[in-house]
Amino acid sequence: MKKMSYFKKKGDSYIIFTATGLILSLAMVVLIMTIILVKGLGFFWPSDLVQVKLQDGKAYLGEQWAESTKHEFDTDGNRITHEEIQFKIGNRDLYGLDFIWLSRNEIEKMEKPKNAFSFERLGYGNFYGFIKSLNIGDKQFNYLDEQSNNAVEAAHDKAVKNRHEIKELENDINKLNTPLVNLQREISLLQLKENKTPEEQNELEKLQKEEQAVTDKINPEYQKLSKKLESIYLENQNIFLNLLTADNREKKLLLADVVRIYRPNDFNVLEKSWIYVKKFYEFVADEPRESNTEGGVFPAIFGTVMMVLLMSIAVVPFGILAAIYLNEYAKQGAIIRMIRLSVNNLAGVPSIVYGIFGLGFFVYALGGTIDQLFFSSTLPEPTFGTGGILWASLTLALLTLPVVIVATEEGILAVPRANKEGALALGSTRWQMVRKIVLPNAMPGILTGLILAISRGAGEVAPLMITGVVKLAPSLPLDASFPFLHLDRKFMHLGFHIYDVGFQSPNVEAAKPMVYTTALLLIVIVVLLNILAIYIRNRLRKKYKTSVF
Amino acid sequence: MVNMKTTLRDNNLDTKVSAKTIIETIDLDFYYVPEEKALKTVNLRIPEKKVTAFIGPSGCGKSTLLRCFNRMNDLIIGSYIEGSVLIEGRNIYDKQVRLEELRNKVGMVFQKSNPFPMSIWENVAFGPKVNGVSSKSELDDIVESALKQADLWREVNDRMDQSALDLSGGQQQRLCIARTLANKPSIILMDEPASALDPISTGKIEETIEELKKEYTIVIVTHNMQQAARVSDYTAFMMVGEMVEFDQTNTIFTNPKKKLTEEYITGRFG
Ligand SMILES: Nc1ncnc2c1ncn2[C@@H]1O[C@H](COP(=O)(O)OP(=O)(O)OP(=O)(O)O)[C@@H](O)[C@H]1O
Ligand SMILES: [Mg+2]
Repeated sequence: MKKMSYFKKKGDSYIIFTATGLILSLAMVVLIMTIILVKGLGFFWPSDLVQVKLQDGKAYLGEQWAESTKHEFDTDGNRITHEEIQFKIGNRDLYGLDFIWLSRNEIEKMEKPKNAFSFERLGYGNFYGFIKSLNIGDKQFNYLDEQSNNAVEAAHDKAVKNRHEIKELENDINKLNTPLVNLQREISLLQLKENKTPEEQNELEKLQKEEQAVTDKINPEYQKLSKKLESIYLENQNIFLNLLTADNREKKLLLADVVRIYRPNDFNVLEKSWIYVKKFYEFVADEPRESNTEGGVFPAIFGTVMMVLLMSIAVVPFGILAAIYLNEYAKQGAIIRMIRLSVNNLAGVPSIVYGIFGLGFFVYALGGTIDQLFFSSTLPEPTFGTGGILWASLTLALLTLPVVIVATEEGILAVPRANKEGALALGSTRWQMVRKIVLPNAMPGILTGLILAISRGAGEVAPLMITGVVKLAPSLPLDASFPFLHLDRKFMHLGFHIYDVGFQSPNVEAAKPMVYTTALLLIVIVVLLNILAIYIRNRLRKKYKTSVF
Repeated sequence: MVNMKTTLRDNNLDTKVSAKTIIETIDLDFYYVPEEKALKTVNLRIPEKKVTAFIGPSGCGKSTLLRCFNRMNDLIIGSYIEGSVLIEGRNIYDKQVRLEELRNKVGMVFQKSNPFPMSIWENVAFGPKVNGVSSKSELDDIVESALKQADLWREVNDRMDQSALDLSGGQQQRLCIARTLANKPSIILMDEPASALDPISTGKIEETIEELKKEYTIVIVTHNMQQAARVSDYTAFMMVGEMVEFDQTNTIFTNPKKKLTEEYITGRFG
């Protein structure tokens, strides 16, 4: 009894009470992370192919995905339950659907044939089946054994090499054509003009002559390239597999359209792991395919990181300057208090409001003006007058500005008054004092602000959707073509990618794992960016630890 | 230039000071808040190249007066002064006075040592740098001579790149003195520079002051009566914002004119 009252006095029950809150929060975080990790990382594991024979004679080959218990009423109104298994049967071009639910009762036999193949294709999703024969040119090889696998692999490598070459050739031809295309655009612009002045008429004739000259000049090269292109293309058309599905349907598959071929049932853990690594690499480093449900998310990673960096570049200087003015220069009084209050409240404004502001102010007003002034030749095609990575980054910078200001102010307030007075007493100006004493000492606070800004900015989707994010961007905002940094370009973003793949995709079921994986990637990127900022902050902290004496 | 003769007040303090005056206050009133005088009509003439001590009970305005000499009080929002402070005959509260120039000339050592979170070298070079010295060798010379004057050179010359925060409390305070000296001021204001230090460090600081008074005018606030007697040539006794008595230290401690001074010195209050 005595012991009980002792505990009560200490307030032990409240410790438990408060600890419960912490434990619940932690449990939540762990749960989210576990789900995302398990679902996201499992995506790349090459699962075994199961051949299913049904009692009615139908047969399927596919990956087993899920099981569930279905409750139904039969015709007499009796409740019956039966087990169902979900298979991913692929072959969308043949079956129309990637997925199928089969009841255990109708299944006669399930087995894992060693020679079952999984083909990842550029289009139409996976194909599951067996190889009948391989065609190269006009020769046909029947599929026999291990030896044939090597032949298939070699043929596939060749086809892929050709595919890359075709792409390069197409690029070269495009480049070759660029001056001509530009000329033709100028000509058609002039031709469309009514009531041409004599000068314009002259100009038109000059341009047309020039067009002829350029055409003559590039024609031989053009002919050479397109002949080569054609021959490679033809060659690739004749490297293909004849496949058999589980229900003995035949299918011709061009090897150039295949990304990866493997026999999961025949592979050991090591070989599967190797495929896992390759798929993971492809996911991180490649472009998306098939309306984002397959392939990689590299452009989205790139867009996210670049947008966060641009945002940081924009928000940090402004935040610092504002905080310095508020704390070091402004006359403290009612107005400054009001401003401070407003800044704090701005942090709570819903992000879509910033998005609307970004659209109205940055995109239409600023971007429109820039177009009028500097890009009038391409109007009505907008350059900056439409969403782009610059406007999206600036919108997010605005969104995160209050966070940076508040954190910087806290950092500035933490600078010992004695140090500031010391600097002034040595005859430094206020600005010298700010630069040499206040800013270095406030750096940890500023970086804390940046960390918060990154965390918030990287995860925002809503404002981006109306200021420049797209589901599929044709090119990265940073590349090798002049002027390298294309701030007007639309970009992809992991957060929007999750939304798009998960909710807008034509094939939601197939895209589901991709959603988890992308979410995982987004988290990893935010964490990495934060770790970088924290690392810098800790180094600065060590350097500027304040006097203890 | 203000003519000294015409600004002299009918003041019993005048006659006692024979040395050349460097700081003079004329009817100085100071307000932290309106209508509330923290300094009341202070008239004072501080002689050049001597050590002058301010003594008095806590809250009497010693620090306030000291901080009027380099206009540190300007930082306190809402405060203002009436009257004038002349340094070398020039009113430092004049509109034309550049604060940076004034503070370069009138250095200050604070009660709590406040080294910057930088290396020892950077700390001492801070003043010259912000005042426009940029050549490294010149700065090196300045740093060395300042540290020698502050009697710190022997202790730190082999670790100039170390953080100043790693020094001991006494060393930090001497570093702050060196930092002030690096500006080559003509006046050094010290607000209880040794109050947070142990007796040995205090002794060293006092030795340093003894050394410095050959070249500099030093105004020091202290609570320690012995210290005032030991280091100062002149002593000013203040109470509730008023300058009660100012005279040679000898006279103040042995033969004060005012009863209040005598009571304070003999320890009857304060
Ligand atoms: N920043 C300030 N704002 C308002 N009043 C102040 C401020 N600083 C000091 N005072 C007041 O002015 C008076 C004189 O203060 P001051 O610091 O000059 O005293 P002091 O003689 O230096 O005392 P101590 O020996 O304790 O340091 C005190 O009554 C104090 O409360
Ligand atoms: Mg004081």
